Amino acid sequence: MKKIIFSLLVTLYSLLGNSQETFMVNGPHNKNHNYYAFTNATIYVDYATKMEKGTLLIKDGKVISVGKKVQLPADVVTYDLKGKYIYPSLIDLYSNYGLPEVAKKKERRGPPQLESNKKGAFNWNEAIHPEIDAGSLFVVDDKKAEELRKLGFGVVLTHQTDGIMRGSSALVTLANEKENEVMIADKVANHLSFNKGSSTQDYPGSLMGAIALISQTYYDIDWLVNNNQVDEHNISLNALVENWDLPQIFEANDKLNILRADKVGDEFEKQYIFKGEGDEYQRINEIKATEGQLILPVNFPDVYDVVDVYDALNISYSDLKHWELAPYNLGIVAKNNIPFAITAADLKDKKVFFKNLKQAIKSGLLEEEALKALTYSPAQFINQYDKIGSLEKGKLANFIITSYDLFHEKNIIHENWIQGKQYIINDYNVIDVRGKYSLNVKGKVYDLLVKGTATEPKGNIQIISNKEGKSDTINIKVMIKVEGNNIALNFNPNDDFQKSTIRLSGSINHNAVIWDGNGQLATGEWVKWAAIKGKNNSSEKEETSPEELDSLIVPKIQYPNLAYGYDSLPQPETMLIKNTTVWTNEAEGVLKNTDVLIQDGKITAIGNDLIAEGAKIIDGKGKHLSAGIIDEHSHIAINGGVNECTQAVTAEVSIGDVINSDDINIYRQLAGGVVASQLLHGSCNPVGGQSALIKLKWGSAPEEMKIKDTDGFIKFALGENVKQSNWGEFNTIRFPQTRMGVEQVYYDAFIRAKEYEKKWDEYVALPEKERVNANAPRIDLELEILMEILNKKRFISCHSYQQSEINMLMHIGDSMGFTVNTFTHILEGYKVADKMKKHGAGGSTFSDWWAYKFEVNDAIPYNGAIMHQQGIVTAFNSDDAEMGRRLNQEAAKAVKYGGVSEEEALKFVTLNPAKLLHLEDKMGSIKVGKDACVVLWTDNPLSIYATVEKTIIDGAVYFDRVKDEQRQKENAKEKARIIEKMINAKKEGSKTQPVEAQKQQLYHCDTVGE
Amino acid sequence: MKNKIILSFLLLSSGAYAQVETPAKEQTKSVLILNGTAHLGNGAVIKNAAIAFDKGKLTLVEDASKIKIDFSVYDTIIRVEGKHIYPGFIAPNSTLGLVEIDAVRATRDNDETGGFNPNVRSIIAYNAESKITTTVRSNGVLLGQITPRGGRVSGTSSIVQFDAWNWEDAIYKEDDGVHINWVDMFDRRTGKANENYTQQMNELITFFNAARAYSKTTHQQEKNLRFEAMRGVFDGNKTLYVHADFIKEITAAIHFARKQEVKKMVIVGGYDAWMIPEMLKENKVAVILKRVHSLPERQEEDVYLPYKLPHLLFDAGVLFCLENAGDMETMGTRNLPFYAGTAAAYGLDKEEALKLITLNTAIILGIDNSTGSLEKGKDATLFISTGDALDMKTNNVETAFIQGRLIDVDNHQKKLYRKYSKKYEN
Repeated sequence: MKKIIFSLLVTLYSLLGNSQETFMVNGPHNKNHNYYAFTNATIYVDYATKMEKGTLLIKDGKVISVGKKVQLPADVVTYDLKGKYIYPSLIDLYSNYGLPEVAKKKERRGPPQLESNKKGAFNWNEAIHPEIDAGSLFVVDDKKAEELRKLGFGVVLTHQTDGIMRGSSALVTLANEKENEVMIADKVANHLSFNKGSSTQDYPGSLMGAIALISQTYYDIDWLVNNNQVDEHNISLNALVENWDLPQIFEANDKLNILRADKVGDEFEKQYIFKGEGDEYQRINEIKATEGQLILPVNFPDVYDVVDVYDALNISYSDLKHWELAPYNLGIVAKNNIPFAITAADLKDKKVFFKNLKQAIKSGLLEEEALKALTYSPAQFINQYDKIGSLEKGKLANFIITSYDLFHEKNIIHENWIQGKQYIINDYNVIDVRGKYSLNVKGKVYDLLVKGTATEPKGNIQIISNKEGKSDTINIKVMIKVEGNNIALNFNPNDDFQKSTIRLSGSINHNAVIWDGNGQLATGEWVKWAAIKGKNNSSEKEETSPEELDSLIVPKIQYPNLAYGYDSLPQPETMLIKNTTVWTNEAEGVLKNTDVLIQDGKITAIGNDLIAEGAKIIDGKGKHLSAGIIDEHSHIAINGGVNECTQAVTAEVSIGDVINSDDINIYRQLAGGVVASQLLHGSCNPVGGQSALIKLKWGSAPEEMKIKDTDGFIKFALGENVKQSNWGEFNTIRFPQTRMGVEQVYYDAFIRAKEYEKKWDEYVALPEKERVNANAPRIDLELEILMEILNKKRFISCHSYQQSEINMLMHIGDSMGFTVNTFTHILEGYKVADKMKKHGAGGSTFSDWWAYKFEVNDAIPYNGAIMHQQGIVTAFNSDDAEMGRRLNQEAAKAVKYGGVSEEEALKFVTLNPAKLLHLEDKMGSIKVGKDACVVLWTDNPLSIYATVEKTIIDGAVYFDRVKDEQRQKENAKEKARIIEKMINAKKEGSKTQPVEAQKQQLYHCDTVGE
Repeated sequence: MKNKIILSFLLLSSGAYAQVETPAKEQTKSVLILNGTAHLGNGAVIKNAAIAFDKGKLTLVEDASKIKIDFSVYDTIIRVEGKHIYPGFIAPNSTLGLVEIDAVRATRDNDETGGFNPNVRSIIAYNAESKITTTVRSNGVLLGQITPRGGRVSGTSSIVQFDAWNWEDAIYKEDDGVHINWVDMFDRRTGKANENYTQQMNELITFFNAARAYSKTTHQQEKNLRFEAMRGVFDGNKTLYVHADFIKEITAAIHFARKQEVKKMVIVGGYDAWMIPEMLKENKVAVILKRVHSLPERQEEDVYLPYKLPHLLFDAGVLFCLENAGDMETMGTRNLPFYAGTAAAYGLDKEEALKLITLNTAIILGIDNSTGSLEKGKDATLFISTGDALDMKTNNVETAFIQGRLIDVDNHQKKLYRKYSKKYEN
């Protein structure tokens, strides 16, 4: 059967002529400079200006005038749009329309790829290709254009959505014309992301690597621009320079990535426009503070299939919360006065665009804001409001004609005009035949009901038969085809009258009240027929769903928006902990029946019978108060990979750039008395990345967790991991592959750093006149950091096991002029404790780990005790999210293995790590003046029977056993409430998605990738 | 009258400090341990205990203050006032002796290739001289169920005692059970539902159907080693250990075992088992509970849930014990006592917690007739700790006996400790 889709797009481009002056024409020229007028419409001239009964006059693809009284010229084609609406057509800033598909990266199994596979005078890194110019790659793709035109879009900003520095974008209309005509401008904006996309080069192998790569590239172009005598011609970097002043659009997606990208931008005085993913509400204050404009999608998560209670157990609390809150995002962003544009990107099924948008409006987004975000804002963000985004004189004649207000429940987009050309989406001239009719075929009368849409009517005939006293209703489907005024019907009543198909053709007359014509029965007999519309033709009920009044109330957002997230952040309190056993970690030792006063985040008094007005009294009787636990070696709360494994030296990357404030393990560790952690880079290369020192301020944003004004640290590593011993047969290329090679990596790195410093010193020392003409050295982030180590501004925490290599690194330090601050893991520290002491290194070890790889064969649990006895500052660390929450138990193993005193053993996880991290003047002991980072235990903290009652950071209670239990109950209630809502949504026909199991994303030292 | 020797720990352990820990000789002289606090492993405690054993078996377990003791019948008397006596701890579901160094493939003998290997036997690969085992028993863990891993049907485990010249010597109960890894409903790495669940279930069902039919007769046309190894599962000579953590997997496994007429089934892992205690009890399914020192599996769960699971299962009346499979499990076996300690910290009575690594384990492994608690007639497998052995702060094993044999509680690590301590003394 030939399917006639008369309702879809009839493009009239051939009639309307071309304006490509520079092109050769085959056949007679077909110029058309007519005027087109659209009268009697409600016109939104711009998002804020609504005009009733207005006229829009266009010519040659531009707006000539718009107003209530527009003088129409003689050569005008007029469309009467009485009762209809005109809007400027919509603009999408995030699109790859008309650009070649980027080949997806294949799962690669093979040796590392250290260099770029892109041949030519381009950048060293395959993910940095700012030279990609969407304008020169763009070809019209009418199928894709049509999909967007149907949604009312007229213009998109298109770029190749691939790589870290992606290149520039082109602004194109969605008209089906020559590329030269649809392209409004090329090199409109410059695009970036943290995702290396199709690049198969190893570097960067992590999010922090991508961040470092962007920074380094910016320094590189700075160097290129400011130095005349640079020998290198780099097309990529030149393109970046050329496009430097364009709007910069950063595909950040995740809310924390927006903050990360903004930090990079700030460093180089570049304000990005961020493409988000719809979770901005979770960190709205921080996102507002970026001052960045946003491009936001309307892709809300589908309902989870929660029919099976056991399956529902698997849905995480945060996923449930986000499902409920996602539609509120746009409203929240708008209320916070953050400028934003809306994109249809990220929608797998573009058809839900308006459905979701309407849901966002029901959830607090004002219609005017929505329209602004689809017209004015996108145009404005890319400095194109002089051409698009409204219907003022001189702008492109890009507009849509709709049946109702754009966001009305029943609205239909009839036509989308782009550059003055008409694209019919739902023809308003189609006769709406819906209603109830009496259909008479050769005297036989049927009740016909026509439903469906105006363009796709669907008929139904009800036949009530009465057999043996039983009445039976049979529904017969009627196929209806409407073309202009012609109508055709097909149906098989299968009754006494006819047992086979009746086919009818005819005309629609008198405003669709009467149809009549001729038909043919299966016998071949010709018959007359007619249908008359019933009086009560509005048989269909108004299908407007009742507005949910409570939908405007934003459900509770938690910080972070996870289970155990706070409604509001804990605040410092004045607290007096009375009559408790205080493990001071100071000369006073363990004090019994003592009071500790906490004020303004500090410990202000320790003594007996303390009194403080207004203080919250905490009864510490029978309990123990210790300094909070500090984990010298942790990998929790990190996003996008813990290792940048791809090079032997990656000092340029920083864990501080990728702190994940949404890791549930932060809360779990608070529940184990941990107050601070060093988040370390992994151990897969000799020089890893910089560490982050954080306090576990659950609920805060990443930057607020960082400990301010403190020394910087960096991860080094030795042994099997850096020589890739256990990485399989392919990883035998990256230098080093032996301990011998590791030494050379260090010498090479530090000698380069020294030479680098010398080059800079010499450059800075030049007389100003000479310096102006001299080439400045190129800023190298990797060497900058190594220089900091040499200048004692950054300190090493070195993953280490065997004595040979430990000895080696100390030799390097001694000869290069630095001290290894901490050997972490250091399982053979006991063999070289005397040497470590002499060198001045501390040791942060495992209590009892061994036997997991060859190099830990001689690891002994007495290691901590021996190092301690030799006068080395000794700590126990976790390197493990699970162990991290019971480090007090691990400390007790120093008592078991080697007989360290209880008091000293507790210091292994409190004061000593504080010393190793240079925090001992603020943390690590209970002393007047220090930060109030303390833990109240039910028992001797070294006893396995001790549990945490309260964990206090800077005088604020971050964990409280009683409140934790309350929170569990609240979480369970909240989860149940949302699940009930999901069940209802599913009943109402929402699309569902299958449940996925929760996965633990845990990093260890040797975790490669995400 | 015999010469009474009242020995201190050091004298007793004169064999210590040998180069390599040597398996002890059979018990030939009777021993009486006096005045210690005996934790019997069955829930009871005797504050001032008199415990005696001869020829490897316990001959006396009494309150010293309530009975009259004839000291003359004992060759050796050990006074342990202020110290604690425990039955040897038992590590079920262990790969001790199968894996020496996790990262070195050549030292891994726990995971045979192929999906259905019930005939693969852990016992013959058990390295009685593993350096790890000596560090485990010096914390009080004296017996273990050596268990193969991997595939759908991993193989057959055996129970060993930890002081032996070779695997034959080590056997405590040979081929005690067959282990299967239940079909995952979700890929726990990606979170996605397992697309092959039905197919994998069918493979398992097909295998069991065939093995069950085969087991009905002893006269086979051709011998099938796999089916032969399954015989015990259907006639009750072997326990079927089903490794499964999540609720739907556990319930599916219980239905499966019932349908397959499995005589004795145990769930290993059993993270969600606390949610379905009635089903477990009705079907007489015991649980070997996964490592207590774990993170919760789900974001919103009680942050302490893994610590509280023992208490929850105990309150629900489920028969269960503790294991420590997972990352770094062989070396971590020595921390088994502390899992029980943590269970006690989070609500369980201390003696009940102790049962989870002694008598309950013995019952579940089917060796409780001869071990698992300090009761007259059972093996003299026990140790003396200077303090509470469930607390790392005080766990300090001075003396240990396996079947009455005084074992060497020294190890490679203690030797290195002494060696390097001496280095710094000079």
